[in-house]
Amino acid sequence: MKNIKLTVNGEKFEEQIDNRLLLVDFLRDNLSLTGTHVGCTYEGVCGACTIHLDGDAVKSCMLLAVQADGHNVTTIEGLSADGGLTNLQQAFNDEHGLQCGYCTPGILMNMADFLTENPNPSEEQIRHGLIGNLCRCTGYVHIVRAVKKAAKMLKDSAHEDRT
Amino acid sequence: MYPAEIKEYHKPDSVEQVLELIANHEEGESLLLAGGQSAMQAIKSRMLRPQCIIDLQGLQELKTINDESETLKIGAMVRYCELVKSSSLNNNFTGLKDAAAHVGDRQVRNRGTIGGSVCWNYAAACTPTAVLALDGNMHLISSDGEIKVICADDFFLGPLDTAKSESDILISVSFKKSKTRSGSAYKKWGLVKDALPVVGIAAFVKLDSNGSCCEARIALTGMGVGAQRAAAGETPLLGSDGDPQSIEAATENICANIDAPTDLSATSDYRHQLIRSIGTEVILTAFKRAST
Repeated sequence: MKNIKLTVNGEKFEEQIDNRLLLVDFLRDNLSLTGTHVGCTYEGVCGACTIHLDGDAVKSCMLLAVQADGHNVTTIEGLSADGGLTNLQQAFNDEHGLQCGYCTPGILMNMADFLTENPNPSEEQIRHGLIGNLCRCTGYVHIVRAVKKAAKMLKDSAHEDRT
Repeated sequence: MYPAEIKEYHKPDSVEQVLELIANHEEGESLLLAGGQSAMQAIKSRMLRPQCIIDLQGLQELKTINDESETLKIGAMVRYCELVKSSSLNNNFTGLKDAAAHVGDRQVRNRGTIGGSVCWNYAAACTPTAVLALDGNMHLISSDGEIKVICADDFFLGPLDTAKSESDILISVSFKKSKTRSGSAYKKWGLVKDALPVVGIAAFVKLDSNGSCCEARIALTGMGVGAQRAAAGETPLLGSDGDPQSIEAATENICANIDAPTDLSATSDYRHQLIRSIGTEVILTAFKRAST
């Protein structure tokens, strides 16, 4: 057992946990943040459990919860600072970038990080960025379209901010 | 798939503390965890059942790339995503960038490290292959204080096996900067984009003032034995300027001297064909990069 202190979605938590507990289960079971999904029985291949650790998209089944001690975690519940939809979420809604929605939280977390690094992505870059996220419904066409739209929305809103 | 009991977890913030922790545990009890993108899989599948995990994430001193006058020193905890972005790897070391840019997926590259990859030395892995072609040196410190520098040719022993002993910690991987023009490249072919290499090849060439190759190193992976040198492919390149005949002789020589296995991913013949096609491309790219 180990005592950990971490920040999740801006809120500070302190918990006593088992060393072997995976971060994804800590988020889901201890903090009831069930938007982070387990899609592949912790095999690290589906990306549905993608979160931000200190701003970087990582798979939360690939870390022990104790490793997040002292770090900053953002889950899908905290992606939007004001509780509304972010541009990325709105674009997924507009373009219907999902069917069953199970993989969607992981895709949104990965693509949010991707767009900060690639504000002007080509379709090839988007598809390359999506390799770590499996979607068994959509065939990715609508997802790619949604990410493209989100990039445009982010660019337009940045332009509006400047003017 | 879930970790077995882990009795202790430590996140030291200095190499000295790591060495002390290693020394305080029996052999086989403790495990050094870098980015964990391979080791955590082994822990979850219980192939590894460490009693004590020593997490290296607290070692800031291992997270820097030092571009020194004669060598490039990459800290063991530098992540793939940082290798890809580093301008220090341009020119001579682009082959390592090629490898890092296509490891797994971006979530893996945000976490996985060069040190973790070379110490794990998976049967089919990109980074050890690039490090081998680029003639990297592994800098280690043992729990008894001994400092070791092991060259890539002596470091990679076989799948999941290296010259690093359990009491060692890898500090950095260094590369000698070439004084004359040189270039490197890496490419792999996998069953899906960016998957583990069915065949991966790295090439490094150094040119003299006339543009002729005076040194060549080729490494490959995917033959079931981890990263390996393909010395048979190097000789035909010496003295050449990267002309098609020399490159063909190089890839044919590799095929003639390599035991390519047949498995579910590819037949032996198909692997030979991949060696010809990827080999030609990476050798050509290395020559092009060296001459520009």
